[in-house]
This record gives sequence, C-alpha cells and structure tokens, in this order.
Amino acid sequence: MSATPTIAFDAARCDGCGECMKACQVAKSDDGRPAQSRIRIVRDDETGSWGIAQCRQCGDPRCASVCPAAALAKGGDGVVAWDAGRCVNCLICTAGCTYGGIAFSAAEGHVVKCDQCAGAPQCVAACRRGALRYVTAAKLYNRWGELEDLFVPGLGGCQGCNTELIMRHALRRIGPNTVLATPPGCIPGMGSVGYNGMLGCKVPVFHPLLTNTASMLTGIRRQFKRKGRDVTALALAGDGGAGDVGFQSLSGAAERGEQILFVCVDNEGYMNTGAQRSGSTTYGAWTATTPIGEAARGKTQEAKNLPLLMMWHGCEYVATASTAFMEDFYAKLEAALDASGRGFAYLHLYSPCTSGWRFPSAANVEVARKAVETNFAVLWEYRRSHGLRLSRDIDEPAPVVDYLKLLGKFGHLDAAQVAHIQAHVDRQAQVLRELARAGCGADAVG
Amino acid sequence: MSEVVDGTASAADAVAAKKEPKILVCDGNEAAAWGVVLARPDMVAVYPITPQSSLAEYVAQFVADGVLDAELVEAEGEHSVLSVLHGAALVGARTYTASCGQGLAFMFEPYFRTPNLRLPIVMSIVNRDGITPQCVWGGQQDAMTVREVGWIQLFCETVQEVLDTVVMAYRIAEDRSVMLPVNVNHDGNYLSNGVVRIELPDQAEVDDFLGTPDVNWHVALDPERPMGVDPLTGGATGPGPALFVGYRRGHCEGMQNALRAIVEIHEEWARRFGRRYAPLVEEYRLDDADCALVTIGSMAGAAKDAVDAAREAGVPVGLIRIKTLRPFPLDAMVAALDKARAVGVVDRAVSYGWNSGPVHQETLAALHYCQRRIPCLSLIGGLAGADLTQAHFARAIAETVKLLDAPCPRTPVWLNAED
Repeated sequence: MSATPTIAFDAARCDGCGECMKACQVAKSDDGRPAQSRIRIVRDDETGSWGIAQCRQCGDPRCASVCPAAALAKGGDGVVAWDAGRCVNCLICTAGCTYGGIAFSAAEGHVVKCDQCAGAPQCVAACRRGALRYVTAAKLYNRWGELEDLFVPGLGGCQGCNTELIMRHALRRIGPNTVLATPPGCIPGMGSVGYNGMLGCKVPVFHPLLTNTASMLTGIRRQFKRKGRDVTALALAGDGGAGDVGFQSLSGAAERGEQILFVCVDNEGYMNTGAQRSGSTTYGAWTATTPIGEAARGKTQEAKNLPLLMMWHGCEYVATASTAFMEDFYAKLEAALDASGRGFAYLHLYSPCTSGWRFPSAANVEVARKAVETNFAVLWEYRRSHGLRLSRDIDEPAPVVDYLKLLGKFGHLDAAQVAHIQAHVDRQAQVLRELARAGCGADAVG
Repeated sequence: MSEVVDGTASAADAVAAKKEPKILVCDGNEAAAWGVVLARPDMVAVYPITPQSSLAEYVAQFVADGVLDAELVEAEGEHSVLSVLHGAALVGARTYTASCGQGLAFMFEPYFRTPNLRLPIVMSIVNRDGITPQCVWGGQQDAMTVREVGWIQLFCETVQEVLDTVVMAYRIAEDRSVMLPVNVNHDGNYLSNGVVRIELPDQAEVDDFLGTPDVNWHVALDPERPMGVDPLTGGATGPGPALFVGYRRGHCEGMQNALRAIVEIHEEWARRFGRRYAPLVEEYRLDDADCALVTIGSMAGAAKDAVDAAREAGVPVGLIRIKTLRPFPLDAMVAALDKARAVGVVDRAVSYGWNSGPVHQETLAALHYCQRRIPCLSLIGGLAGADLTQAHFARAIAETVKLLDAPCPRTPVWLNAED
C-alpha cells in the first residue's frame, strides 16, 4: 500500500483564528446554502493549546467498518469517501470515529467529512500561520515501498527493535547487485545469513569474522572491479564489529579508500550476546558487564565517537542517522551509496535496543527521537568535498534527562551522573558545532 | 635412494628441452616472488615481517613494474591480509600472500577459517621462530604450531624448490578433489636470504601447466549466483549434527585426496620442467641403512652431507626428508621408516608437553604402523636461526646409532645447547 497525502496539523503554530473553518464552510457551501465546516478547531482548556477534529483518512477506517450501508470506503487516492446514495443516516460512523472526523450536519441533513477538496484543501490555503499543511509525509516510503524487499519474511529480531527496519529499507534501496557482509551480532543473529541451509536474504550474504568485515569486503569489491563489474560491497555491522574488535580492519579499509558502504547499527553494546559493555556504551549505562552494585554505578567511561573517528580517516562520506528521522536517513543512505562508488562510505545509525536498554518495545522510535532532540545523538554528515554539516538545528536541545528517563539502563543514575552526561552532551554538541562552522572538510581531513 | 635429480633436466624430458631456461641468481624470497609471477594471481595482499619482508617487496615491485598484473592490497596487518584474500577468493580470484612467526599468530583467526571455507589460497611461510624470547630468526615453530588447522603444508629444501613449489601449490590447491589452501614453507634466513643460481620456468609453459584459476565453483559471493556463505550450522534446531560432520569429513577427505594430487602434480612438473622432487617423503641413501635421520626443510642439505660422510666412514645411515607434513604422508613415511632399525628426528621446533619436537611426534605416530618396533630419538636444533651444520648432524647420527645397542632416551638431544 502506498502512502497518500494528508492534512498535517502543527499545534504550536495554531492561534485559533478559525479561518480554516470559514474557508471550509465556503468551499462546501452549495449555491449559497449553509454548510458545516469539515474541520473544527478545539481548545484544550488545560493547556490552552489548539487541536483539530478532522478526518484522518485512516488506513483502516473504523467509520467504514462500522457502517451497515457500505456508504463509506477508503479510495485509491487515500480519501475515505462518503456515498450519499447509500447513506441511511444511522450515524453509527460518528460513534465509530475516535477523532471526530465525521459528524452530523444539521444544516445539510446528513453526515459530513473532509474530502481534501479533490487535492486542494481550502483549509490549508486559508491558514496564514502554516499550522495546516497538505503533505505526503511518507513519499520516500512510497519510493522505497515499490522496491523489492530482499530479506526473507520472519527475521527473528527482538520485539520493537529498529534494526530490521534499517536492514530492510537499506537493502531495498541498495538493491540486488550487492554482496552483503553481516558480522556476528544481532543482524545475522536474527537470521539474515540463514541457518542450516535456509537463507536469510536474496543477495549473496556471508558471516565475516567479527574482526574482518571491511577486509573481506576489500577483496570482494576489488576482485569484482578487476572483472569489470560494479557490485556494491555492503556491511551491516554492529558497533562491536565496527568499532571495537573490528576497528583495525575498518580503519585500514577506510585509510586505503576502499569502495565499501559500511553501515554501523550502533546499539551501544554487545546486545546479541546479552548486553555487555562495548566501546560504544555511553557513560553511566548499566550493562551486564558494567553492573550496578555497592561499588559500581554503570560504565565509568564515555563512548568513543566512532563516526568522528571515521571522519578523521578522510572517508568519502560519513554520516550519523536515526530511524526517528527517516527522510534524513534515506537521504544519507542515498549519499553514502553514491559515495561508495568512489571511496569509503560510513553510515552510523543509532539503534535503541529494547531488550538491552530496558524500555518498552513500543517506544523504540520515541527513544530514538528523544536521543536526537536532546543532542545525545547528533545527526550530521561529512562529505570529503564539503566538510561536516549538521543535519538539524542543535542549539535548543531538550534536557538530556528527558532521554535518560526513558531507559531502564539509566534508572540508577544520581544527580551527579546526570550532570556529567549533560556536560558531555553539551561538549560534544559544541565540538560538532565548531567542526561544522570551520567547514571541516577535504582540506582539513582528506 | 634419492629421487632428486639435482636440478638438471632429465633426458626423458622433451618439453623442457624445447627452450633454454632463464637463469636467475637470487634468494628464496625472490624465488618465491617469481613463482607468484608465474602463477598469475589476481590478488596479492601483503604485510611485511622479518624475514618475509623482501618477498613482499619483490611482489610489490613486480606489480609496479608491470611484470605481475595483480591487485596488490597493502593491508594494515596479517589478519586483514588473509581476510582480503578470503573475500577475493570467494569472488573467484587466484590469490597469494606470505607471512611467518608473529604474523601467522596474528593471522590465526582467518587462517583457522581458510581451509574450512575450502579456499585454494597459497601462502608462503618464511619460517621464523616464535617469541618470547624476542627473536627475528629462522625456526619452524610457526608452521609446526598450526599443524591441526587444516592447511596443506609443504616444506622446501632449496631455493629452486621454493619457486617450483609455489607454482605447483596452485595446482594442488585448486584440484577439485582437494580445494584446500596450501602453505609453502621455506626456512627463514637459510632459504629466504641464501643466494643461489636457479632456473626460471617459461611463462607460457607454466600457464599451460596451471590452467585458468578455478577457485569458487563450490562457494561464491556473486549476485549472479547468490548464496549464503557459512550460515549458522549445527545445533539442535537444524538438520542435526550430520551436516557439520559432513563438512569436517569432507575436509578430511580433501586432505587425503591431496596425497594423490601432490604426487601426480610433482610427477607432471618433473615431466614438463625436468626437475623432480620427492612429493611426500624423500628417501636418501636409505636402502641398506641401519639408522635414519628424519629431517624437514632446508636442514636436509647439511644432513645429507653428514650422511655422505658417515657412509664414507662405514656407518650405514640414511635420511628421510618430509616434504609434505599435512596431509601426513603415512604410507610413504611407514615405507621409509621400515627400512631403518633406529631413527633420529631433528626438529627446528619444540613440542612442549611431549618434551620433544613436533616432527618427532609425527614420526612416533607413523612408527605405530611399521612392521617392527623402531626406537626413535628426538633431537632439537636450529632454533632462532642457530646453525645446523654438518657437525651437528654428525652428532645426530652418532646419537641415533647408539639406539641400536642402548635404550632410547625419552628426553631430547639439544643440538645447539653448547653453541
């Protein structure tokens, strides 16, 4: 199923002026007869902020499923359409919708709902403050969604893990003309290579050693080039296989400028083997080998900044990305793939671990978003030709505690530890700000 | 009697007679590098280590000069060297590297995996003793320590044999009944740096001898032939232990097939190029011998001189040189040992827990299959580049002769203990 346009509402920009409702009334008024607006703005008395009641054009609309007359149906354009000829005015749909998206209009004598004005919603046009936008938020998903999923169904990742999302979307885009290396860890652990003759994906795939991913891909890419074939050499590796025991081969291949696309899925520890500490585990975190006790309060060192280390290799492309910001991730994947045809491309993805970090499985994307919004994980990209650029504004971050409090692995932190982390996060953001300002690029690094 | 024809073309060799061989004056490292040139690998990955370094340099220079058309990967360490070759071989490349000593130790993780992936990679080991004590000199502790890993292990006596064996190694490795990596061992210092006159085989004839690379027909990483390489195997949820056993058993069978391949390929080499080497076990003046020395590698030269001298003095002694240590040439070794009544084994490495040498242990195992009980003495020498001279072997012979009349000591004779 493709994503379709929707009317998005930004409460922070709404001042309750009501122009949207007026515009809708006018648009829906037939020959001057009164009509009821299909959008209503509603004030939340507790917070003072505004919300909207309007049809969400749900993917699986409850209004349609409860309708006994088949008068409501989701169309190919994404709009839930109302059929006047079938409607019996029973109003069951109004009870079925939890968003107030369909309501009885006394003026018109039947239920009414938003139809997006055939692709030109008048409410959006009337909104001066930009609180309403007509967007296809997932237009990239549409493009990716049409590509073949090259992994088998039923990969055995933990509930709520975002790694499977990363794997599937990355490989869809990168395509079948690829050799995929998945060093030991969660990614082959969920079956991407396979078990006992049952394969995990449709592209040639292998377990390198935990230590030699970039080296094996060196030989693969170079031999294909020798044969005149342009085959993508792709790694989907964890932070241990990339930055700890695998770092020598990663560093060597980056220094040599091997044409490899190396994706590091960083869950900040050895999560596949039961959540032990790695060089990417952050300060204060509980892990199975940095436990909490009378004499210990989690990891006592900072994480190494692996993407920055890779930048200083003068790679063709280095970027950090998050599954809470998919368009940014897609754009960086695109850039990394392109760069890997010229030299070493390194893409670092923050991957919250539901089981190892101790948070509910439904919260993965929320955790990933908070990491970015607090500057705990800063999104940036480096191109050899243009230097380092911040991917989003980092000047007004939320306090880091907003992120820390989501995670069981930080549940033991005392005030001093939180302050320590906040100071580190601020310092790291400042370093990146200055690198971006300095235009740290080919001259400085390469 | 020795099967060696002393480097000269036999009269029956019509092919070699066609062209005047090119003559080189070089050491064993350069000879190995020329062997690499002749084998035309697609990819060479190297990392320098004494006493292999000049070999890596020669290969790099040959690539720079256009003498060798190969991808050269100057990896950041031996671990990556072999890993690069794993990747390349899985894409079908004929590959080469060389290492030794600590480099081999550092390489161990991918080294361990190479034969299990059945990749026909050829690697020279310029044998070096292990640290500690700190040492950069020759010795065979490196190769002896990895006997059970599953590589084919060949040991050369001469510089010419180094070149010839590097080329032959590709035929052995890529034989479809074998499909295993081959280590061509040549002793650090003695062979790596000893300069002699050798013949360089003709490229076109070597091309004809080796054929095109046949590397990844059985396992490949290629979008045109997509497959999963090395998925998790074994464990309770799979098809059962039989699959894993099948891999191990197949590897063992490949090793046994290699015995035949090594013999046939050495025979073909002799026919085409006129130089005949004992492929598995060389017997030297053994037919009417009371005693025999067992040797391996370059030490056999001085040992043969000592045997000749002892013979002149009326001592009926012969020599066994192991060329192929893995697969262990059991039948050839038993046949040779059966000709002696007492055996002395000279090792350039130590088997600590046995208080003897590794080749001594190998020989003891073979003696189990001999017709009678033969006493077998361990002699250890040549550690860390120590000389093993004719005088040392004269002593080794004398110690072995004693076994004819006295019980065999269960402790080794340390040949350089007084040097």
